[in-house]
Amino acid sequence: MAEAKTMAAISPPKEPLGPSDETPSKPPLSSQTHFTTAATTPPVKPETPTTPTPTPTPTPTITISRETPPATTTISSKPPNPLPPTSSDADVVHVPSYSRWFSWQKIHDCEVRFLPEFFDSLSRSKNPGVYMYYRNSIVKQFRENPLRKLTFTDARKTLVGDVGSIRRVFDFLEAWGLVNYSPSAHNKPLRWDDKETKSESKSGGGSGAPLDSSAAGPNRESSKVVCSGCKLVCSIACFACDKYDLTLCARCYVRGNYRVGVNSSDFRRVEISEDMKADWSEKETLHLLEAVMHYGDDWKRVAKHVGGRSEKECVNQFIKLPFGEEYLKYPDSGDVDNKYNPVKDQVAECALESSGASCNSKRMRLTPLADASNPIMAQAAFLSTLAGVDIAEAAARAAVRSLSQVDHGASREHLGTLARNTELREADVASNGDAARNASEGAYVEANSQLRKEELDVERVVSGITLQMKEIQDKLVHFEELDLQMEKEWQQLEQMKNMLFVDQLTLLFHRSSAPKTDERMEQKNIRTD
Amino acid sequence: MKPPASTFSKAPVKFRMPTADNLVPIRLDIEIDGQRFKDAFTWNPSDPDSEVAVFAKRTVKDLKLPPAFITQIASSIQSQLAEFRSFEGQDMYTGEKIVPIKLDLRVNHTLIKDQFLWDLNNFESDPEEFARTFCRDLGIEDPEVGPAVAFAIREQLFEVATQSVASARESRLSKKGRRGFEYVPASKAGGAVLDLVKLFGHKSSVVRKRKEWEVYEPIVDHLSNEEVDALEAREERNFR
Repeated sequence: MAEAKTMAAISPPKEPLGPSDETPSKPPLSSQTHFTTAATTPPVKPETPTTPTPTPTPTPTITISRETPPATTTISSKPPNPLPPTSSDADVVHVPSYSRWFSWQKIHDCEVRFLPEFFDSLSRSKNPGVYMYYRNSIVKQFRENPLRKLTFTDARKTLVGDVGSIRRVFDFLEAWGLVNYSPSAHNKPLRWDDKETKSESKSGGGSGAPLDSSAAGPNRESSKVVCSGCKLVCSIACFACDKYDLTLCARCYVRGNYRVGVNSSDFRRVEISEDMKADWSEKETLHLLEAVMHYGDDWKRVAKHVGGRSEKECVNQFIKLPFGEEYLKYPDSGDVDNKYNPVKDQVAECALESSGASCNSKRMRLTPLADASNPIMAQAAFLSTLAGVDIAEAAARAAVRSLSQVDHGASREHLGTLARNTELREADVASNGDAARNASEGAYVEANSQLRKEELDVERVVSGITLQMKEIQDKLVHFEELDLQMEKEWQQLEQMKNMLFVDQLTLLFHRSSAPKTDERMEQKNIRTD
Repeated sequence: MKPPASTFSKAPVKFRMPTADNLVPIRLDIEIDGQRFKDAFTWNPSDPDSEVAVFAKRTVKDLKLPPAFITQIASSIQSQLAEFRSFEGQDMYTGEKIVPIKLDLRVNHTLIKDQFLWDLNNFESDPEEFARTFCRDLGIEDPEVGPAVAFAIREQLFEVATQSVASARESRLSKKGRRGFEYVPASKAGGAVLDLVKLFGHKSSVVRKRKEWEVYEPIVDHLSNEEVDALEAREERNFR
């Protein structure tokens, strides 16, 4: 599991958490690490079990060398017990990355936010200077001996002021890992035991919890069963008789090492071997999934439903299941019979036929495509998981073939969606095995090629149209030219008409003025010329 | 120098600690099954009462005391807080009041003896600031001395304040008129006002007389382990 302390974003949270975060958090926590007070939000969120990582990754911490704080107005804080004088760069103090903002001279926003009493000028004694005095003294005191957990009482004994405010500052610093933060305690993966004791106990900081729980841990995990017959610890299996409140180890049971009056049939076998613990039977897993679906996060009820497994084990097993478990929302298999789409009959029939031969393990692995909005798809997905991988592949291929036989007159989009549907269906199946992926790819490729063919057709047609348009345009141009020519000829004709008219006129003149032919002829000549 | 007579006729003020911040000194001295727990700290009475329980639990856990202490501590704190609050509604006389404050405490290996005058009228006074400066000036290295000094001052101021409430009540009941305020506290407040008159009378100067220097000088002693043990044994005997 990953690290325990994750901060909510500094706007806490988170807490902070935090602070992610927040703080926790944002981090308002009356004791974030104590998960109680409401004054500060916890920047730390309890680690939620996620997909298991191979190695636990520690929260990134930054290490800063101890700086000597500037001369403050505090009383000199050399501890009374003889510690070697700490040189400034000699030791290294670990500070979690979400508390990077800390600086001796400055006050950060989150400090103002989480401890507003010092900054709202309501009380004369509570001002930023006093806050810095408290904060710096506490941090300095802790850093003088970072391996030792600084208790609040130690801190407040050395600070002048009212204990309520000091406590709030102390809690704030502790929540943000500036005090009592030892990375060694955090680097080891947080066990479930530690987490439980952390949330239960009010120990300050993560360093306290693992130490406290180390005693409690072994007690919780190993419930040593001692045989009432031979007084030895039962290891592999024990036989418990509830009637007479006896617990016998296997050897005693076989040997008949029990009291008179107790029948061998009164005993029931109780497995306590570690191997058995690790193996979850199919039935138990199914119970677990059902229970989780019904009860969600109520692990107590889940454990009761599963029967025979503690809450811890249920959670452990749940997170170990494949990822698909998270989308656990499929309808009961009984309802499937009623809702069949005729288009998908082939798929359904194939699935039904083979359902008898389905192996149990497939049922456990649900597909991610349990989309509530598309119940048919969900059922198809479910059915495909019931069926084996090969069968599902064959069914998918048949479906694709039938679809490809569909008339080409169907619109391209319809085909596309169908192809996509088959694609999706195939995708469901493919999630179970690699073999089905080829079928889906084949269908996809076919659909693509058909699309391309249609596109080419359209292009051709379109190009034909453009040719015709070009022809028309040429003709138009030609006609225009002809028109022009006609105009020209018409004009020429006009001119010739005019000339004829002129000739006629001159002829008239010629006739009417015959005596004066010489002059007139000359004139005419001149005129006509 | 005429004593400023006008200050004698100040109207009574609601009870509060005559310091800048209204904090209550809380002293704990609990014994259960042979285990003795002594502590003294300052508490802010405006904190919610839930704080008391939280503080008690925290202290017991930090000091690894048996859990029986939790209820005892909480109840002790509560009772002292209640006592403080009972004074709160009442009037307090705030005439000219300069009281001597005596420090006589032992914190770990440091012994402190001191005496000084404190003006009760000064509602801006800050015992914490005084303590901080005290430790810094005298070069006290033990960080626990500061809070102890502040606490001692506060405790004494608290006593004086409660006395003044009682005296104000009494004087109002017994005598009427302003004159009553003038003279009654003079007799009941431990002669502080009298000193003032003597000190600042026209005959004397402000500078302290030489013979009184030793009285008012702070003494800081660092004890060795044996002396500490001896003193502790004596205290235990006195306690029993």
